Amino acid sequence: MPPADQRTGSIYDLGYRRYDGLRLGRQHAVLSLYVYTLRGAFGIGRRASSKIIPIIITVIAFLPALIQLGVAAIVSDEVDIIRPENYFGFVQVPVALFCAAIAPEITGRDMRQRTLSLYFSRALERRDYALAKLAAFATALMVLTLAPQALLLVGNGLASKDLADYVGDNWKDMPRTIISGVGIAAAMGAVALAIAAQTSRRAYATIAVVAWFLVTWPISGILVAEVGGAGRAAALLSPFDFVYGATLWVFDVEPDQDSVQDLAEIPLWGYGAAVAAYAAAGTALVIRRFGRIAA
Amino acid sequence: MALIETQQLTKRYGETVLALNGLDLVVEPGITGLVGANGAGKSTLIKILLGLLEPTSGEATVLGYEIAREGPVLRQYVGYMPEHDCLPGDVSATEFVAHMAQINGLPRAAARERTAETLRHVGLFEERYREMRGYSTGMKQRVKLAQALVHDPRVLFLDEPTNGLDPAGRDEMLDLVRRTGKEFGISIIMASHLLGEIERVCEYLVVIDGGQLLQQGPLGDFTAAMGVLAVEVEGEAAVLAGNLRERGLRVEVEGRMVLVALEGDERAFDLIRDSCADLGFGLVRLERRRQNLEDLFRPTEKGTAHAAS
Repeated sequence: MPPADQRTGSIYDLGYRRYDGLRLGRQHAVLSLYVYTLRGAFGIGRRASSKIIPIIITVIAFLPALIQLGVAAIVSDEVDIIRPENYFGFVQVPVALFCAAIAPEITGRDMRQRTLSLYFSRALERRDYALAKLAAFATALMVLTLAPQALLLVGNGLASKDLADYVGDNWKDMPRTIISGVGIAAAMGAVALAIAAQTSRRAYATIAVVAWFLVTWPISGILVAEVGGAGRAAALLSPFDFVYGATLWVFDVEPDQDSVQDLAEIPLWGYGAAVAAYAAAGTALVIRRFGRIAA
Repeated sequence: MALIETQQLTKRYGETVLALNGLDLVVEPGITGLVGANGAGKSTLIKILLGLLEPTSGEATVLGYEIAREGPVLRQYVGYMPEHDCLPGDVSATEFVAHMAQINGLPRAAARERTAETLRHVGLFEERYREMRGYSTGMKQRVKLAQALVHDPRVLFLDEPTNGLDPAGRDEMLDLVRRTGKEFGISIIMASHLLGEIERVCEYLVVIDGGQLLQQGPLGDFTAAMGVLAVEVEGEAAVLAGNLRERGLRVEVEGRMVLVALEGDERAFDLIRDSCADLGFGLVRLERRRQNLEDLFRPTEKGTAHAAS
């Protein structure tokens, strides 16, 4: 038998080597952070316990769509189809829950574990980091605001007698649904992230986000309904109220009698402007926060 | 081209703290030890070069890139291992290091491949698929080094890489750092306050103190010039000390040991031998003492104080 060739050992040495391949730079860095954060928002690639809360909240957001489709499948024609603007009224609650539970994780993790210095010493700028986090979180919220509606549209379309007719009747709602869903995700997401980013402590961040949703809500209700006058502007304070007002504006629907939007007598486009303003302010605050934080 | 060049680099924290005070520095490629006491400005300098901190004034280039304007491009070629913990507990080393590689611009497939290679290089095997929260300090330090190396940087900044390691872990980490620098030609800036570690790894030394450059040069220049000999004899230490002082050496008694300042020449060895012979003392031990860094910073004043007290 010939002696073993000693050189064969070297092919198993898979240790450190130099890298001469592609370096895709800043854009790739931002995109990678976006994907990683989005996955993390739903606990993908993390331990099972990190998946429980986002999955439960997501299921809640889908429930009305699933129920309506299920009922329609059983009793067929008799069912009233859920209107997109009404669905947005419902989905605000899971969106708020998601903000309170997940926004502190999106920003707080890297602060708490001091991973920020690893990011900021790599091929991206602080602003890029903030924007990637914001975009990922807003996208996660869009899964809640838009995906159930997409399911509903497809499901109802397939269940209808004539798909072409159904699409013809409903196509006008599609851009409106998308605008509304993106607006809700952007405004609530940006502000929730701006609040959560102020602290690395998870509990404080969650409480602060919850407070934004729950403290402003009765204030808006009381000031609009009981005080009136200048107090009616408070409808623009509560995220639930101004976001719903904006949805009514996008869908060109009159507010229900005695609802906050009805009593406040603010032109509906004002709520649309509020959504844009909140989204912009939240974004600016998140960028500012990560521009200054020590890494 | 110089690896690092700084001009009048200044960093002020608030009104009172001056971390870097008009630092002018040129560092050539190679393995360089950045030495200084706690608070000397080592970490501040590294963080400014990495773009983690903005200098109050002054300029710097790394690899020829201006840090103020070409940060993201430069940082594709730079690795950083911070002093502090920086690893998330709820992901595996593989997932985390691959993510960090992508943040540095590596395509996904290359990032995964490089992650496997780099983790093997730092000596992390099956554990790499587990969540990092269960890792020992030694394993965490290895992952910290791996994330700094995964994108094959041209220069590596290590801030106290042996922090928290036991002696064996310390040896392994230093060996890893030296091999990384020597075998793969990656320039390394290693900050430490332990001269012993610097000596084992580095070729050049940069000493900063109070935010200013105190000294720099090849390592040999430093160790030859300064040192202390510890002498143990069978006999009265004080008598030997007196005898050596008469022969013109700077001497201090520390318990049973006589400490002799070495001042750049080897004359002391002969004088100690002669002294012992004249006094009839048996020479038990003669060893070169590691000086603590404060002595290195101010060889004259401190050294004198040390020897004379």
